[in-house]
Amino acid sequence: MDFLFSLLIAGVSVGSAYALVAIGLNMTFWTTRTLNFGQGSLMMLCAMLTAFFASQGVWLALAAVSGLAVVGLLGIFIERFAVRPALKTEGSMGWMVATLGFGTLLQGIAAKYFGSQAVAFPEVVFSASDTVTIFGQPAALQYLVIFVLAVGLVALLELFLGKTIWGQVIRAVSFDQELGRVQGMPVGAIILLSFVASSVLAGVAGMLIAQIGGTVDPAFGFDLVLLGFVSAVLGGMGSSVGALVGGIVVGVLSKLVGGYISTAAEHGIAFALLMVMLAVRPQGLFARPEAVKV
Amino acid sequence: MRRVRSHLSRLVRHPLAQAALVLVLAAISPLLSDGSVQILCFVLVGIIFAQSINILTGIAGQISLGHAGFFGIGAYGAGILAKSYGLEFYLTIPIASALSAAAAYLLSFPAGRVREVYLAMMTLGFGMIFFEVVREWNDLTGGTMGLPGVPSASLRTLTALGRPVGVATYFVILLLATTLFLIIMNNITRSRIGRALFAIHHSEIAAGSLGISRSGARQLAYTLSGAAAGLAGGFYAHLVGYLGPDSFNLHRSIEVLVVAIVGGLGSIPGQIISATIFTFLPEKLQVFAEYQFIVYGLILTFSLLVMPRGIAGLLLDPPRFIRSAPRTRAGRGDGPPVPLRPVAARAPGGVVLSADGVTMRFGGLTALDDVSLALAPGRITALVGPNGSGKSTFVNVVSGLYRPSVGRVTFEGRDITGKPDFEIARAGLIRTFQDPRLVPNFTVRENLMLGAHRLMRGSGLAAALALPSATDEEANVLKRVEAVLRLIDLEAVADQPLESLPYGYRRLTDVGRVLLAEPTAILLDEPAAGLAEPEMERLSKLIRDMRGMGISVLLIDHHMDFLSDLVDDVIVLDSGRVIYHGSMAGMRQDKTVVAAYLGAEETVDA
Repeated sequence: MDFLFSLLIAGVSVGSAYALVAIGLNMTFWTTRTLNFGQGSLMMLCAMLTAFFASQGVWLALAAVSGLAVVGLLGIFIERFAVRPALKTEGSMGWMVATLGFGTLLQGIAAKYFGSQAVAFPEVVFSASDTVTIFGQPAALQYLVIFVLAVGLVALLELFLGKTIWGQVIRAVSFDQELGRVQGMPVGAIILLSFVASSVLAGVAGMLIAQIGGTVDPAFGFDLVLLGFVSAVLGGMGSSVGALVGGIVVGVLSKLVGGYISTAAEHGIAFALLMVMLAVRPQGLFARPEAVKV
Repeated sequence: MRRVRSHLSRLVRHPLAQAALVLVLAAISPLLSDGSVQILCFVLVGIIFAQSINILTGIAGQISLGHAGFFGIGAYGAGILAKSYGLEFYLTIPIASALSAAAAYLLSFPAGRVREVYLAMMTLGFGMIFFEVVREWNDLTGGTMGLPGVPSASLRTLTALGRPVGVATYFVILLLATTLFLIIMNNITRSRIGRALFAIHHSEIAAGSLGISRSGARQLAYTLSGAAAGLAGGFYAHLVGYLGPDSFNLHRSIEVLVVAIVGGLGSIPGQIISATIFTFLPEKLQVFAEYQFIVYGLILTFSLLVMPRGIAGLLLDPPRFIRSAPRTRAGRGDGPPVPLRPVAARAPGGVVLSADGVTMRFGGLTALDDVSLALAPGRITALVGPNGSGKSTFVNVVSGLYRPSVGRVTFEGRDITGKPDFEIARAGLIRTFQDPRLVPNFTVRENLMLGAHRLMRGSGLAAALALPSATDEEANVLKRVEAVLRLIDLEAVADQPLESLPYGYRRLTDVGRVLLAEPTAILLDEPAAGLAEPEMERLSKLIRDMRGMGISVLLIDHHMDFLSDLVDDVIVLDSGRVIYHGSMAGMRQDKTVVAAYLGAEETVDA
């Protein structure tokens, strides 16, 4: 029973981390219907830079903020140079390849200048040994923090999108950019901001996950972003609640499979879930199917 | 630059030059060191692998981010068969290719349900699952330790029929296989099969309207691509002798995508050049290996913007999609171009196509409300009505894009309600769209050839080997294309890519393409929209010719002047209902029609 419980706690926690990644992917999907295939490299870079600054003796909070600032700026770069030009061409091939390429580029640069070895990640917010007791079971504090953060973020985003005028503007932009522009909405700025927000969120998720694992290496974000995809697709692209539920399902399922069947199958089961979900219900659990215009 | 390009293209595409290249390579290989020959072998494996993604992504337009999986199935398939079952490489490689083709065929079913970014994720997922399985299935694949001891040409452990096969011999065999593969691929891309793959790449709905089965075409593209990747993987296995999971991870998938994009998606010679460069560079340039990720990243980020057609677009003329043999045969001028045949429609009770009580609801909106009409052979019926009255919806229902909520559509006495669009097109009921949906990089002639797709019966084998039967069939269609070109008066621009031509020409090509399908009934959705006066006259003559051939025509349009001296009957739709059915003159008098167009006078009680 204790074993099951600890698996569930761990599953919910990593699932919340996947949900953060998925929400980051969703943000650009809302405005441009694009996903940043290089999101994993932003997670890696933010964690890597924080660790690097900290190792140079920079005050920890400042190191973390600097890391976030860099990936935020890269978000602008990605929108401006990888996505915006590609959106002018037909089909999705252009931006998929360009964002994938930019992620590969960042990974290559990180490997070149920080080496391909794992780097120890400093204790930014809390210590790995901090625990709290839930239902009489000890659970790592950092697990709880990620979960609370993910739930809080989803609640905020739901309120923002549903209740505020800017939320409606974002929905309008995602529906028809041209119409938004004609109505005087700052479409360009909204799109740019969505990429910055998406990148910063990737950075935050990267730091939190690096904190749990304790280390970060150039290939660090890669599996995470794939699992973020799985979570986003499972919940339905663009849905915040879907991302949270999808993330937790993926997290719990892979931990259960890892705990009771084989740790080797942990990731495989998530990818299998992705393929089945795409084949059976591509719109996910929480989104409505898109109407196809003939 | 343009002249250099055209000379270079002619040289690259000249069969003698190609044969000379192969012979020279075969002749010099025994003189080279084993190391050099081994690199040449890697080049050939790279070429086949790059063509594999070219088939799927470049030609059929289906992105794949997990292509290393197919390559790996081929490599591990060949490796395991050779190592555990003692089969020799002339058996293991074809079996490996077949295994990979089978896997790709199976993947095409779930993949066929998704598009674009979802397809990218699904293929990514496939690649990751393959990688995880290989890494964890220790008993079969050796897991992370890999699979050593596969009979290998480089390690001098490869034998066939009891005799050793050195790397030089292996190279010659691989060279032959590559040559054969490229010939087949070249033939297929310039056959009805290849053109159909390009058609689904550009517009799946338009392809369906020509009688091309989307799912069939996609399954074929996956299977061919899988077979090619498996072939490359099989040869790779017997070249290196050791297989480890890291050779088949996502980086391999990204790498082959880089090669294909740099070479130029859709171009066969472009892939050959690109695969050669990307195999030699890391071997010869240590610096390149060090910066590999950075270089690949930069290429992927910017190449589609800076060089959308890759090396091929830079150095070579764009490829063409009709072989020259049938063209010379068709153009040899044995007799005048074949006249277009009159159609003999089965019209029980004088009706070719009938809709009975068709109602179409979208959620709460009723777009068509109990619409009935009948088309007779050799008559032109106009379907008019204000915007949003349901005209296009009606065409979409009849042509099989929508399944009606209520009602029945009968064509030549057969119930076709709810049948898929491509089956309806194959039966001889052809439609056009409000915007011409043609393949932009095809010439006028090639686009017209697509029209005849539903009539062409040649087998895939005949197309792949360019057998005389395939050449004959293409030549016959080309003669009819010539006749249609004359009819639409576009002979002068027949061999120009469509994207370089003005809108009116595209529209005429679109309508001409319908004629090549030899349909019994035609649905034309606003063919005159955006046409200039002389083009409109040409179109109206073309539609009369169609009537002359005995075809039933349903014509949607707004220009009453255009319609008035052309059509035999008029049907007026308003808010999804038929409000008038009769002659053109009668329509102008009809109060309901006038009210629908101009608004009714309100009677006000004083």
